Amino acid sequence: MPAFPPRSTPRKAALALVLLAGLVAGSGCTVANSDSLTGGADGALQIALQQEPPTLEPCESSLTSTGIVVRSNITEPLVERDPTSGALKPLLATGWKATDDHTWTFTIRDGVRFHDGTPFDAEDAAFSITRAVGSKLGCNVDGYVFADSKLEVSAPDARTLTVKTKDPDPILPLRLSFLEIVPTGTNTTSKVREPVGTGPYKVADWDSGISLRLDRFDGYWGTKPDYPAVRYVWRTENSIRAAMVASGEAGIAVGLGPEDGAGDLGVAFPNNETTALRMDVNVTPLNDIRVRRAVNYAIDKNGIVESLFLKLGEPAGQLVAAGVVGHDPAIKAWPYDPAKAKALVAEAAAAGVPVRTPITLIARTAQFPKVAETAEVMQEALSQAGLNVKIKMLDTAAHLEYQLRPFVRDAGPTLLLIMHGNQAGDAAFTTSQYLKSDGPQSQYGTAALDEMIAQAGEKTGPERSQAFGKVLAYQNENVVQYAHIAHMRGLIGIASNVRYKPNSASTDELRLAEIHPAE
Amino acid sequence: MLTFVRRRIVSSAVPLVVVILGVFCLARLTGDPAKLYLPLSATPQMREDFLARNGFDKPLIEQLWDYLEGLFTLDFGESLRTGQDAAGMALRAFPATLQLAGATMLLAIVGAVLIGSWAAYKPNSLADRLSGLLSMAAASMPDFWFAIMGVLVFAVTLGWLPTSGVVGGPEVWVLPLLTLLIRPFGVLVQVVRGAMVSALSAPYVKVARSKGASEPRVVFGHALRNAAPPVLTVAGDLTVGLVNGAVVVETIFGWPGIGKLMIDSILQRDFAVLQAAVLITAVTIFALNILVDLCHALLDSRVRQAVTA
Repeated sequence: MPAFPPRSTPRKAALALVLLAGLVAGSGCTVANSDSLTGGADGALQIALQQEPPTLEPCESSLTSTGIVVRSNITEPLVERDPTSGALKPLLATGWKATDDHTWTFTIRDGVRFHDGTPFDAEDAAFSITRAVGSKLGCNVDGYVFADSKLEVSAPDARTLTVKTKDPDPILPLRLSFLEIVPTGTNTTSKVREPVGTGPYKVADWDSGISLRLDRFDGYWGTKPDYPAVRYVWRTENSIRAAMVASGEAGIAVGLGPEDGAGDLGVAFPNNETTALRMDVNVTPLNDIRVRRAVNYAIDKNGIVESLFLKLGEPAGQLVAAGVVGHDPAIKAWPYDPAKAKALVAEAAAAGVPVRTPITLIARTAQFPKVAETAEVMQEALSQAGLNVKIKMLDTAAHLEYQLRPFVRDAGPTLLLIMHGNQAGDAAFTTSQYLKSDGPQSQYGTAALDEMIAQAGEKTGPERSQAFGKVLAYQNENVVQYAHIAHMRGLIGIASNVRYKPNSASTDELRLAEIHPAE
Repeated sequence: MLTFVRRRIVSSAVPLVVVILGVFCLARLTGDPAKLYLPLSATPQMREDFLARNGFDKPLIEQLWDYLEGLFTLDFGESLRTGQDAAGMALRAFPATLQLAGATMLLAIVGAVLIGSWAAYKPNSLADRLSGLLSMAAASMPDFWFAIMGVLVFAVTLGWLPTSGVVGGPEVWVLPLLTLLIRPFGVLVQVVRGAMVSALSAPYVKVARSKGASEPRVVFGHALRNAAPPVLTVAGDLTVGLVNGAVVVETIFGWPGIGKLMIDSILQRDFAVLQAAVLITAVTIFALNILVDLCHALLDSRVRQAVTA
């Protein structure tokens, strides 16, 4: 028989519980890792992002999670692209002109100061370009915007900057609209986490894991923005970001889907993103153009847009959306014709193509709303056409192994579901990446297509747009590396007390000066 | 007792070593982080520089040696993602998870003891059936669904609580705590009820009553002490699960804890932070298990005698 316990045991247990309760309560109900925050009653605009910026390094601002905070808010480029009209506008440069085929000259704005009080001049602009382009820092803006460009930069005087290119580059000012200016003396051997810039806001407090606060910069050279401060917070879950706007906790919530619950506060906008399947043309059965055409005919793009994207998009026939130089409205989406798809696969099979070889359809988890369902719909459609397709869902890093060179070896035939965003507004950035035979994200191309891309890149004005339109049409008719699905539309939550009109760049560059309190 | 503690430390050290080596090897099987961190047009030279800068160009055995050396000085290197000290990031995040897990288990144990004992006091009564129904429902409730519904009702519709975040007063705790609490509470109520039903029917309870002990003393003084070991075992297991990272709650409510940090580090192939976070969590779980065993020994003299024999 068990012995009776000593009388004091319940008291000891109670004491232990009280001590434990005291431990929790003793923290004043303050959550660890959240000490330096001040609450929200300071007139700050709260913005809910999908993820915390990994860094605020300006030369990484072509990364969405960094650029959405940094670009034109903390730092500024020399010129700025109007996302609606596509026109370039003066920012830290007041003017620019091509002085010969290889040289551009910029006039630098006077009266601009950095957040640390130092004046901005052409030396800073030259330093910023040299620091980011072709340097050992490994900046993302270098790879995405400048690719193999070789630049010679000089500042003959405080207000003049000249940039020489190895090859003629008619869109150099557009490229420079992605390069944020930092002061001379910024670290050149490692990236900076909290930059100094000339923008309307400066970094005030970054509490890692919790929030980032920017304060209005009183010494800003341009029109002062309305909000005295902006606080960014990050919530991975879409429905929570939507709830934050609905409950008034946040003024803006980015990256929402149609079923996240933002209701009337969700505002749709074209975001220049296009979804497509990239086909591995080097492996059977996808090395047969009939099979690749069959893939295009088999997919019901309208059905996907209507049922899965809830009309937030439109069927696509090319990799660049309307508004991007090179987009050709005459290129329509491939018609949905399952009978023709089936016939093409049968024809290929009759010619000895092993059409039943298993094909892997690779998609990225959470790449866009309903991505898994989209993959399943396409798998079923392609199976109906006579192909043998299996789905593989991967996270971002694993998906990049397939998306970027050097590609995964011996992966068998693959259909890679990609989403391409052309925020630069010129098809040169798309074709050099996705269509050129040696493009970092292209698995196939032809000499003729490469030549067309090179020639289009040297043209300007309407001729340039037409030339790139021909490149995109040639892809569809003669190369067929892609089966385009949809030009997507984004959804942003805007609280009733905030006024903001989203544009095609809002996903990557949320300009705080364009956000106002509602009247 | 010291012998007991020493034996437990030795037997727990082996799994700890396995975890330390496992996280190192498995992380490196997930792929090359260079593609995530370098620009699209990175040259082979840039790639080599990146690998050299982060020590990935060394032979695997040398990387392992560096990692093991770093364990003793808590130097895990820098985060690939943020450039910050990896150990610092993990140590900053861990207390937030500990607070949440501690508060949750405290409430779950107290609530479960009260309700489970009440149900067991009169088996098959209305109270017993009601607590059985509620605890079953709580134990089977999907936490992500409960969290989202809680936000919809209490934050968006009623406006009583914040949707998420950690800045503010006690109200920021309510939804995360309730979400995390509901499942352990449901499980523990059932365990307490079961253990108390058999304890209350034991002969020593009848003896206590015959000697004139009051009912609260019979229930909480005699029966509960003898019903405690299985409750402690289950509570220990549940606590380990929470310390291991309340990932769902941390993700939904933006709670800056270790679970979210680990998930982000895995997705971003941030090996240094992942290794630091896993090690700190593993050591805590290791300590927690020893603590639970010690409590077991303190509560039950048979265990004490068995291990010290």
